[in-house]
Amino acid sequence: MRVLDADVHESFGSIKDLAPYLPEPYRGWIASGAWRGFSQPFAYTSPGLGNRADVRSKDGSASVSDYGQMRDQLLDPYDLGHAVLTGYFYPTGLKLQYGLATALAAAYNDYVAEHWLAKDKRFIGSVQINARDPDAAAREIDRMAAHPQVRQVLLPVVDDIAYGHPQYRPIFEAANRNRLMVAFHHTTFAQGPYGMGLHYMERHALLPLAMMPQIISLICNGVFDAYPNLRFMVLEGGFSWLPHVMWRLDREYRQGRIEVPWIKKLPSQHCRERLRLSTQPTEDITGDQWMKLIDLMGTDDVLVFSTDYPHFDFDDPNAAIPRSLPETTREKILWRNGAEFYDLGDAPKSERPLEAAAE
Amino acid sequence: MARHSVCKVHDVAVGALTEVKVGRSPIVLSRLPSGEIRAVGGRCPHQGAALRHGCVSGTTGADRPNELTYGCEGEILRCPWHGFEFSLRDGLPTTPDSEGLALRLRLYEVEVEGDEVVVVT
Repeated sequence: MRVLDADVHESFGSIKDLAPYLPEPYRGWIASGAWRGFSQPFAYTSPGLGNRADVRSKDGSASVSDYGQMRDQLLDPYDLGHAVLTGYFYPTGLKLQYGLATALAAAYNDYVAEHWLAKDKRFIGSVQINARDPDAAAREIDRMAAHPQVRQVLLPVVDDIAYGHPQYRPIFEAANRNRLMVAFHHTTFAQGPYGMGLHYMERHALLPLAMMPQIISLICNGVFDAYPNLRFMVLEGGFSWLPHVMWRLDREYRQGRIEVPWIKKLPSQHCRERLRLSTQPTEDITGDQWMKLIDLMGTDDVLVFSTDYPHFDFDDPNAAIPRSLPETTREKILWRNGAEFYDLGDAPKSERPLEAAAE
Repeated sequence: MARHSVCKVHDVAVGALTEVKVGRSPIVLSRLPSGEIRAVGGRCPHQGAALRHGCVSGTTGADRPNELTYGCEGEILRCPWHGFEFSLRDGLPTTPDSEGLALRLRLYEVEVEGDEVVVVT
């Protein structure tokens, strides 16, 4: 069975690896160690320090910077058809120095293009941006969209951005005109409603609670309606909450549509049609429970397999999705839903119309 | 079919709700701005709230977020409990509906005979 892995975290060995891709003065700043990158505000408690313990990075961080290692541990042994690179270096985490953050995003994109995308056609790329400067982010999306392996914009979920806010529209406009999808991934800054909790376990369990508001924000503020060609992927944010969010939004919409009449479809319909959720970390539910959940979602189009390699809560493609699921459903989760999301049909992306290229 | 003389024509006004009973069944009446009289089942199809406590209003539209338009004054009935909106023109909710929760007002045929409002059940 073919497998598409929607969430694979490539990285650099050191932030100084980005220096050659930066313009001055930022090149000098990063090369000299004026900023040493983000540090997670907690200690990892897993044996591999955030990574699988059989994936060691040079600097001991929860990352992998060696393409060969990823190929040998993930791409080849699992015979992945495609792996979506989602990074975990998200310059949006900088709450100041927007020029630096925007330059870092561009540098990271160029670094990934050279050191990862160019090495394996199985990779699908994400555009990293500084979301705090939406116009600059849009320009970066326009720039990177020309890359034939780039299929999506990665929006990092931090502690103070709900992406439905009108100020982020340039990002969605850019994704839309470039026929890119939009994916959301948590960060080391993401929080639940009352902060990060007091323990790593607490913080990790709260991550879905940082994702649900993004979907609520996008739908309530009309992003789904404004861009009918855009599709949205929640990565590593849980999936068993979707029935609740759909039902709750439908109820809220029926009683409160008068306030938000720009929403033209039932929120649940928007979700079923254009929202996708990656499966990792699966919650070790039984095959019967998977099917009950899919029944509650109303479709088996929503779930997209992911491993989260190289992180410690990795899901094995051969083990995470129960073999007791109907073959067609399992195939949709492991391959087809993702392939359709990323438009991996017979037509290569370069043959698809690109509005940006015509402008 | 049964015909029920339920009230006088002047009892039914635009923007207002008049409840009558046919047997034990409540029916609420309102006059559309066009002059037509509507008679609908008196209980909300959602959870059964007494619609006589609801309100007749217009409703909003928008092609873009935060740019509201307003229209259909006198043609929208909102449930007194949850605010669900129904069009008095056709009884349908203003929200696109789903198969799982089909909601619509029950519309009764109305005839005017002299100054009497007659509901056909």
